[in-house]
Amino acid sequence: MKKLLFFLSILLLTAFHQSDNNPFYIPKKWKKPTYDFTKNPLSIAKIDLGKALFYDPILSRDNTVSCTTCHSQYNAFTHVDHSLSHGIDDKIGTRNSPALMNLAWQPIFMWDGSINHLDMQALAPISHPNEMGETIENVVLKLQKSSIYPTAFYTAFGDSAITGEHTLKAISQFLLTLVSANSKYDKVMRKEAKFTKQEKNGYKLFKTNCSTCHQEPLFTNHQFENNGLPIDTTLNDFGRMNITKKPKDAQKFKVPTLRNIEFSYPYMHDGRFKKIREVLNHYTKNIEHNPTLSEHLQQPIILTSNEKIDLTAFLLTLSDRAFLFNPAYSYPKSFFDTK
Amino acid sequence: MCIISFTIFFYSCKTNEVSTLNSTSTDKFSITFQPVFGAENLILNQKHPINETDSIEINVLRFYISNIEFYNHDKLIHKVLSSYHLIDLDDKKSLKIDLESIQNRPFNKIKCHLGIDSTTNVSGAFGHDLDPTKGMYWTWQSGYINFKLEGKSELCPTRNNQFKYHLGGYQSPFYALQTLEFDINDASEIIIDIDLQAILKNVDLASKHSIMSPSDRAVKLAEIVAENFEIENTN
Repeated sequence: MKKLLFFLSILLLTAFHQSDNNPFYIPKKWKKPTYDFTKNPLSIAKIDLGKALFYDPILSRDNTVSCTTCHSQYNAFTHVDHSLSHGIDDKIGTRNSPALMNLAWQPIFMWDGSINHLDMQALAPISHPNEMGETIENVVLKLQKSSIYPTAFYTAFGDSAITGEHTLKAISQFLLTLVSANSKYDKVMRKEAKFTKQEKNGYKLFKTNCSTCHQEPLFTNHQFENNGLPIDTTLNDFGRMNITKKPKDAQKFKVPTLRNIEFSYPYMHDGRFKKIREVLNHYTKNIEHNPTLSEHLQQPIILTSNEKIDLTAFLLTLSDRAFLFNPAYSYPKSFFDTK
Repeated sequence: MCIISFTIFFYSCKTNEVSTLNSTSTDKFSITFQPVFGAENLILNQKHPINETDSIEINVLRFYISNIEFYNHDKLIHKVLSSYHLIDLDDKKSLKIDLESIQNRPFNKIKCHLGIDSTTNVSGAFGHDLDPTKGMYWTWQSGYINFKLEGKSELCPTRNNQFKYHLGGYQSPFYALQTLEFDINDASEIIIDIDLQAILKNVDLASKHSIMSPSDRAVKLAEIVAENFEIENTN
């Protein structure tokens, strides 16, 4: 009987899941997501709740900073135009906020890999004194007292008693739906479009020089690498080593995706480069050969100025306007209007 | 959503039914944790003298007990699944763990974890005692705090003479989880003392007054903490 009930519940859950018109999907030929959906099955109500939390400054101590402050949709969910992202009381952090997309496939989070699971990611900015300066305990109290959230949590989780677990899982649900796989590059791979001659040459150069770390189709290998940036002595950020305490990890940072790179400037963990041109000049001219430099950068990358233009043309094919302007990710006005 | 709730509802009814039918009073078992300071009971926010001039006051004592197992001559006879218990000296109810339906008695040994295993540490958000609102989860770096001890002593040259030990870490070489073992003939209730005086005797409060992240020091202190859990008596 127990088995039968279990089987039925799985069947019903699956049916429920498939009938959802949610924006999460696994693009063709992509591998299985890393995120374990069985522990947090998607539903429209949970995604909507997570989206509201993502846009709501209630997560910060003085109700001024929301997730979207540093992760705005039109900038591929990062903080445009600020090398170092800023938060509560106009305090400035020590790193450039990462662009958010395809997080269901991402095994480890933050530039230094300090966060091991998407569910726990939001705790870091909520608690950081320079970001939201709040505690999850107090967030839960504020949500419980609000006029809209107890009902929304009840609809989503069948329980109007708000918990940290449900708050974090709802945020994960919205983040999981941020799938970007509809750029020109994707259309070319699906044989729905064709690269120009320039883009095609850029793709060839990309595969020769960049794709070991920026692996297709996610355009990252999810590893930590030292890409030869001289240390900024005003920050002294040693990246991955701060977490593992191992000298071999000094100056290593997570390889970021290149998807939507046109919109996710500035670049690098500290946002030191504003233009793609500066990034390419770094890789061709300015790599610092220090002891932990990535093995993939030991040989010089040589590109003529025309090749740099072609490579840039290819990188621009990674822009996914359907993602950047998808109304499913936008400010949920109707949710907040129900007050 | 209704469908999910219903399924869970049916499921839990079913489970309860089984345990009610099978359990008798002899299947029950409880563990009570009793923090002590040497020969005295430990009282929160109260000075315990350690010599003529100095004292130690404990303000926070919280830790996780998980994965409780029963053995008979080193053979595992019963394991309590998904058991994670936050013990908090400030919450008297939490000091006692009540277990039902201990199978295959008798037992002569109990083992449990002091802390949270590495698999749970990398598996996302959980509720109840594992909920991150319980203040036992690090925010700047993923991972549970297995054992949290905060207090004051004149020996600490810090602001308000405070010391803080947040012991955790789930990755080698700083895996702070400890296994506690108690040799105990089949009983329905046990009391386990945790001697804070004995633990703090091993710490130089004047120089090592703070541990707040996974490290070698955290692992060493976790080992010392584990050595100072001791069965008081049995019924």
